[in-house]
Amino acid sequence: MMVRRLCKKWVIYPFIKHKVRHFLNPLKIFVALGCVSAVLSVLVLLGFLIQSSLPFWQAFGIQVLWGDAWYPYESLFGFLPAIVGTVWALLIAMIIALPCGLAAAIVSSEMMSETWRNLVRVGMEILAGIPSVVYGLIGLWLLLPFLQHSLDLLTGHNLLAAGMILSLMILPTIMVMSQDALQAISEEQRESAMNLGVDWQQRLFRVLLPQAWPGIRSGILLALGRALGETMAVMLVVGSMDRLPEPFYNILEPAQTLTSRIGREMGEASFGSLHFSALMGCGLILAVMAMGLSLLAQHRSLIR
Amino acid sequence: MKHIIWAASLLLSLPAVASENIAAVGSTTVLPVVSQAATAFHAMHPDVKVMVSGGGSGVGIAAMIQGTAQLGMASRETSPEEQAKLDGKVDNIIIASDAVAVVVSKAVYMSGIHALSLAQIADIYRGKVRNWKDLGGADARILVIDKEASRGTRHVFAKAVLGSSHARAAGASIISGSNNEEQSIVSRSNNAIGMLSNAWLNDAVRGVDVIVHGQAIAPTIEHVRDGTYPIARGLHVLLAKNASKNTRDFVQFLLSHDGQAIVQKVGYLPVH
Repeated sequence: MMVRRLCKKWVIYPFIKHKVRHFLNPLKIFVALGCVSAVLSVLVLLGFLIQSSLPFWQAFGIQVLWGDAWYPYESLFGFLPAIVGTVWALLIAMIIALPCGLAAAIVSSEMMSETWRNLVRVGMEILAGIPSVVYGLIGLWLLLPFLQHSLDLLTGHNLLAAGMILSLMILPTIMVMSQDALQAISEEQRESAMNLGVDWQQRLFRVLLPQAWPGIRSGILLALGRALGETMAVMLVVGSMDRLPEPFYNILEPAQTLTSRIGREMGEASFGSLHFSALMGCGLILAVMAMGLSLLAQHRSLIR
Repeated sequence: MKHIIWAASLLLSLPAVASENIAAVGSTTVLPVVSQAATAFHAMHPDVKVMVSGGGSGVGIAAMIQGTAQLGMASRETSPEEQAKLDGKVDNIIIASDAVAVVVSKAVYMSGIHALSLAQIADIYRGKVRNWKDLGGADARILVIDKEASRGTRHVFAKAVLGSSHARAAGASIISGSNNEEQSIVSRSNNAIGMLSNAWLNDAVRGVDVIVHGQAIAPTIEHVRDGTYPIARGLHVLLAKNASKNTRDFVQFLLSHDGQAIVQKVGYLPVH
């Protein structure tokens, strides 16, 4: 929203109003350039993904999206297993991280003293700064053996493990953003609510959360973006098996996500080959999924 | 783990002097030989650093086709399509031989699985046999580990067992990447079967004998030497024809007496 407003004011506006002198203000030029480059980089990225995956779409068409066999050496490219795997990992991560992150934000923002709040926040920020490969290794050495033994599985590599690791990675984003949003609500609002005699629950659900929702929403979006694009940690724990979960809700067998497929196969796919184009196609699908999610979240009917 | 430390220490030892850096990329089977040789070579020629990284044979060959590395490592023959792109540009040099062992978890070995025929292994990988009970072991599902399609070990194994290097393995339960990754999956499971170079065998990762014409043959260097082990192969380095003198010297070093001593120390069969 911010970007759009700035663009309107400082990129389009000057041309319409012919306020040339106004426009030559260095700060405004800087802002305008930044704004243009933000828009351009999105377009360039999308353009590159479309252009490099085009040979693949031309050769195989859109029906690969629901094909279930992926054998690059037999020219069989079915995206469905990896798409299903990606969606499952995302869902599991959100189901775990959203309630935990939101609850942590509410507790630390509304119930804790300043000192403790800052301590929790520092902890979360440290959690956010840990490289993803470390999370992957933690998953590999702690989570997988635990899952394997406690659920009596053939192997701990599965979608549940990937979702759990992802939830740990996106927890700080959700928590910190939600906490910021809650903190931004003025003290008067809380006091008025108390003066009206509403109980704690009503204060939370009627006053605090509705007002903090835009901030929480952007936290969720950022978190979704990170979960969608995470490669290394997922690749280490998901098992990379290109097979549809059977039945479709079986999250305890090795599976594949779009990112882990790109990570595993990009090195050998020679530049310009169909295999390379197909992997770029995976990237395009990821980009479209991320954009679709953020458009959905921008949509008014979903906000209210 | 040792190999990772080798590679990491090589990468970290990068103080800038007027020096030449040689990038070697590819098979994680060839990697321990090249990285140990790189350390020894650097001691003799302090101005030359060989930086070794893995990725798999397919990655090494692709890097040579695209010219992004000076030295490629491969644990398999190049495919006809790859050879067409490499022809006239790259020399393919065999520096050692090894056995692709059929490995099982220690628990499987202890339950009495000491030898498997090629047909039995193929049945496991095709999904026809899914329980160790059917092969005389304990009643437990088999964790069938397949490797990424680009990996040299996968090519050689699939060709010997399933008939073609890109054959589908319908029975596979999980895909692994580098040798270290596969080794750790096997050692942490009680029901796993996989494929690994003979140098990666240890107490938790046991190689089973392969039955050929009624005779059980262990995956040892002796059986690679006398040609009886059925899943043996050469380990290659790919050298660009326009490579620098230092890169050529390094390959000569790999083939020299000292270089071949490293091959033997890692656990492979020297070429002479």
